[in-house]
Order: sequence, then structure tokens, then C-alpha cells
Amino acid sequence: MRNNLIVSGSPHIHKKASVSRIMWTVVLSTIPAGIAGVIIFGWDALWIILAATIAAVSTEWVFELITRRKVTILDGSAVITGILLAYNLPSGVPLWLPVAGAIFSIIVGKAVFGGLGQNIFNPALVGRVFLMASWPKYMTAFPKPFSYDAVTSATPLALLKEGKLVEHISYWNLFLGNRGGCIGEVCILALLIGAAILLIKGYITWHIPITYIFTTALLTYIFGAKQFFHGDWLFHILSGGLILGAFFMATDYVATPLTPKGQVIFGVGCGLITVVIRLWGGYPEGVSYAILMMNAATPFIDRYTRNRIYGT
Amino acid sequence: MNIQEFLTIFISAVFIYNVILSRFLGLCSFIAISKETKPALAMSSAVLFVITMSSIITWFVYRFMLLPFNLTYLRTISFILVIATFVQLVEMVIRKFSPQLYRAFGIYLPLITVNCAVLGVAVLNIDMFFGNGKAVAGSFYYSIFQGICVGLGYTLAMLLMSGIRERLELCDIPRSLKDFPLAFIIAAILSLSFMGFSGFSR
Amino acid sequence: MKTLIKEFTRGIIKENPTFVLVLGLCPTLAVSVTVANGIGMGIAATFVLLGSSVIVSLIKDLIPDRIRIPCYIVIIATFVTIAEMSMKAYSPVLDRALGIYVPLIVVNCIVLGRAEAFACNNSMSRSFFDGLGMGLGFTLALILISAIREFLGSGQLLGHTLVKGFEPIFVFGMPSGALLVIGLLLGFFNFLKNRKT
Repeated sequence: MRNNLIVSGSPHIHKKASVSRIMWTVVLSTIPAGIAGVIIFGWDALWIILAATIAAVSTEWVFELITRRKVTILDGSAVITGILLAYNLPSGVPLWLPVAGAIFSIIVGKAVFGGLGQNIFNPALVGRVFLMASWPKYMTAFPKPFSYDAVTSATPLALLKEGKLVEHISYWNLFLGNRGGCIGEVCILALLIGAAILLIKGYITWHIPITYIFTTALLTYIFGAKQFFHGDWLFHILSGGLILGAFFMATDYVATPLTPKGQVIFGVGCGLITVVIRLWGGYPEGVSYAILMMNAATPFIDRYTRNRIYGT
Repeated sequence: MNIQEFLTIFISAVFIYNVILSRFLGLCSFIAISKETKPALAMSSAVLFVITMSSIITWFVYRFMLLPFNLTYLRTISFILVIATFVQLVEMVIRKFSPQLYRAFGIYLPLITVNCAVLGVAVLNIDMFFGNGKAVAGSFYYSIFQGICVGLGYTLAMLLMSGIRERLELCDIPRSLKDFPLAFIIAAILSLSFMGFSGFSR
Repeated sequence: MKTLIKEFTRGIIKENPTFVLVLGLCPTLAVSVTVANGIGMGIAATFVLLGSSVIVSLIKDLIPDRIRIPCYIVIIATFVTIAEMSMKAYSPVLDRALGIYVPLIVVNCIVLGRAEAFACNNSMSRSFFDGLGMGLGFTLALILISAIREFLGSGQLLGHTLVKGFEPIFVFGMPSGALLVIGLLLGFFNFLKNRKT
């Protein structure tokens, strides 16, 4: 699919139909994770997803009306932004929070750049870091899974950061989502199902996700424990927002490099930054920041990994 | 003098308290020159050089001329004179020995004199590494290193920004936001992203 | 007299140093966290601007052209040192709040820019009013930006809570928020300008 795209400056996808088809398929692929989120965290999760999505679509619609541009809300990209933003939030946040985040995502993350195809940064992540900086209290209160009430529990990565990871959390629990965390990031199984759909259809390539996850695993294996080469890499792969980020946000067409070589660099860079933040930084999770920083470096990566044109 | 301190200085100066994205020093030149990569790179290397040298010179001036004679209130005047003189000297030297390099730098060299980052780092070094009228142990090395790191942080921000802005040349940006406003918004997002490194311990 | 008034008002809106000339941004963004700081910086910068513009315009014929920039810098630095020392003596709280940005007024593009572009070519009275206008324009810009940032970032204005139960949006107190506010404000003013034409 990607090889059919004409490259001329930023990737301008020409046929509207194919853009919509890709976007709505991506929406489809996120549904398993959403269902899992609702099962694990209750109806709150559903309201948050809906609030973010409706806010995102409305914001894009209003912006395009005011600036007299073509209205593109039906192409599904705003829906994706809303959904991915919601998946990055704890289920206990008040509903105005995802709305504020969605508005910020669409306006600052996408509209000011000129809309779809031109954003430098992943809009959902722009919204997420905005929310994280603005209301840290709400963004770090994670309700206990399967409890459906207001009891909060720390996420595995937060426990690790504070050195309180006394008992070993079973990998099954991490894999199925029986842990504290954001709505869409906890159920690895659901995420992988969605990712499989996208990979099979060829809408995303393996380069970025696999190199990202592999780099993270390798570095946490080497540096993740008191002794070298003793790190619990499986724990790190299954915790936090890595799987969600690697398959759904680091693969954003527009904000990531065009060539396979560039994508590998991107994946490695993301992994590197994620591990540095997780192991030595102040925040327990670094996926959002890593992806955004690599988004910023993407124009550079593209420049230096351009395919040689025959004859030059 | 320990490795920890150097590591902290590096992470702080380049990422957490990035000279442009967090301290806002050198913002004028950043916004104006980050439109294309070549000038951005030229400016960054010049800034890196001047900051490092001025960190050294101002350290000596403070330590051996101002402190002993209780003239610390002359800090601002003496530092800016030192910087202006140094830049003038560098300009003359480059002009004499490599007219090509001189032409390449163009107007950037004199512009660096008023770059807040240079004076800012000199003042910062004093604030951070001189306490109670005495130099902290190893302050000389910390000061130079901080100067280098600030220069590197400046370069990083410039390169990222110029890459992005070059890419945006082809995009359909809303008219009111073209150039400066969008540059600031991009800087805001970069600043948010760099926050990921805060709280760095170890 | 009329021209003097014109010089004065020019610096406030038509050639506002922050929003139109886009100068002196370093301190603007750094200190605009609270309105009190913004006003403090505005007053200090205006003082320096006034003093240096007047002195430069008075001795403009005595300065050789080749070393005029260093001369301006010395003059400006003198006034900055006076301002710095006065602040340390009379308002240590403000001095601590403004930090390294007080000595940095020396390299504030507005001050040097006005000396180079205006004061060295004009009479003392015109330079005085130009400096006053520019300083006022700068201070007003600072007040606008810091009012937005203080209100959104901490729910207060000048230290007083305005709206009860308002959840402050912390990002506006941070550097990122400052960049965002100025970007959006510049865009807004551009929008107004574009509408006029």
C-alpha cells in the first residue's frame, strides 16, 4: 500500500476514497482495545471515548467551517485522533478533560499545520502531553481494574519507578489487562488483534513497531536491573503504553519517515528515548514523549534517507 | 567535582532546561533564523563557539578581577563588554584568515553579541557555581561544560525547528499563522515534548 | 508637539515592540508568569530604554561610527546596572523573581534596536518620547500575556483568586504555555491585520 504513494515533499494522499478507507479501517482495528477497556474499567471508559471522539470531530468541523476549507470530518482521521487520545487517558478523568484534550489535539496538533497530511506531530499525543502538563493530578490517578469504583491503584511502571514493585506481576495479567493504566493501553491481546488487522491489510508496515519494541526490549534487558543483562524485558514490553504507541501512534503516516531505512531509525530512536525516560527519568512512562520527539526529528530523517533517484 | 554533576548539567542544559525552549534565551535569533537548515547550522556553530569561549573568559574576569576587589556589581557591564570585544576580535580574525568563512557567517557573528544566550549563560554560570562570594570547587570546569552544553541544546533546537519549518514550506497553513505564530506553536510542542526528560535522577 | 505625541503613541500599537516588531521576546516569555512580574520587568525595561535613548541622542555626534554599537552597549549596561542595584535594594522579591532576566535587559533587542534605529538619528525630545512609547508598549504587551498566563495557569490575577472552583491549566505557567500564548496572540493580531486590508 505504501509503495503506491507518490512522494513529493510531504506525503499527499490524493484519492480521498483511499484515505477514508484506511482511516476507517484503523478505527475498526482500535475497537477490540476499546471493548477491552470498557470491560476492564467500566462504562466510564466508554463515555470518555465518546466524549473525546465527538469533541475531536466537532472541533475539526467548526474549524473547517470558520476557515472556509473543505470539510473533511468524514475521512475518519478526527475520529482516530479522538479515540487514540481517549485510549491514553485513565478512566477516572472528568469528562471535560478529554474534551479539552481533543480540542487541543485537533487545533494545535493538526489544524494549525493545515490539516491532514501536513501535521508534523501525532495529534493525539500532542493532546495527551498537553493534558499531562496541565492537569497532572487527574492524569495520574488510575482506577483499579475490574473494580468499577473510585479506588485507585498505581500502574506497574509507576510502582517500578518508585521502587515498590515488590511482588512480581504475572505476565498473563499484564497481557490481558488486569492492571492499572490508561483505557486503551492495558489489554495487549486486544491491541495485537487490531494491529494484526492493520498489518494484514498492509496499512502499516512492521518496520517501526518491531524496531521500536525490539530496541526497548534490548535496552531494558541490558540496563533494566541492578546487574547488566538481567533486565525484565518482557515486563517492559507488556507494561505501559508501548504496544499501543508502537502499533497505533508511532505508525502515523504523516508524522513518520517515508523510507524503510528512515522508519527503522525512527523506531530505534523511539525505543532509546522511551527506555531512558522509563529507567532514569522522572516520569514512569516515556512513550508519548519519545514518539513526539522522533516526530520532530522526522523531517531530518527523511532528508538523509532519501532514496537515490536513478541517474543522480 | 563529580561525574554526576556533569551528567546533570548535560541533561539540564540540553533537554530539560533547554536554553531556547525552556529559558527562552536566544529566542529572537531562533525564530528569525530557523527557517532554513543551512543558516541555522551556521548560527548554531557560531553560537556554540562564542558561548564556550565567553564562559571561559567571563569566569576568569569574575574570579580574578571582580570578586577579589568587591566589584561584583560591575558584572553586567564587564561581561557584556567582554563578549562584545570577543565577538569583534573573532570577526576580525576570521575576516583576515578566511574571507570565505567570513562571508558564510555573514551578519550572524555580530548578531551573537546581542544573543541573550551568551550573556545569559555567563550570568547563569556565576549564579550556579559561585556561592557566598566564593567559587564552588570545580566551578571552572562546570562553567565551561555548561557553556558547551547550552550551545549543544541551542543547536538541537535550531536543527529540529529548521527541519520542521522547511517541511512546512509545502503545507497549506492558515494565513494568519504563517511564519512567526506557527514557529512559536511548534516551539511550544517541542517544549512540551522535552519535558519528558524532567525529574532526571541517578 | 504633535510629532512628539505621534512618536509616543507609535510605540504602543502601530509599532508595538512585542507584537509588531517581534523584539525582546526572551524576557517577555520568561517573566510573564504573573502580572506582577510583568509589570516589574516592564518598568525596569522602560527605565533603561528612556535613559539610554536620551543619552545616546544627546551624544550621538560624539560617537565614532565604527564603535557605535559597543558605545551604546556600555551606556545601556550602565542604566541596567543602576536598575539592577535599585531593584536589589528596594524590591528584593521582584529581583529574585525576575532573576537573570534583569541583567539581560542589556541585550534586549528593543533597547539596542531603538538606540540603533532611532535615538542616534533624532533629537533628545523625540528620542525621549519614542523610548517612553516603546517602553509602554512593551509593558502593556507584558501585562496582556502575563494576565492570560496567570489567570489560566493559576486561576489568579495579581495574586487574587478570581473564579472559585476554577481548575487551573498548569501548562500556561510553563515555558510551553508561554510559547503557545504568544504564538496564538501573534496569529490573532495577524488575523486582525489581514482583515483590515
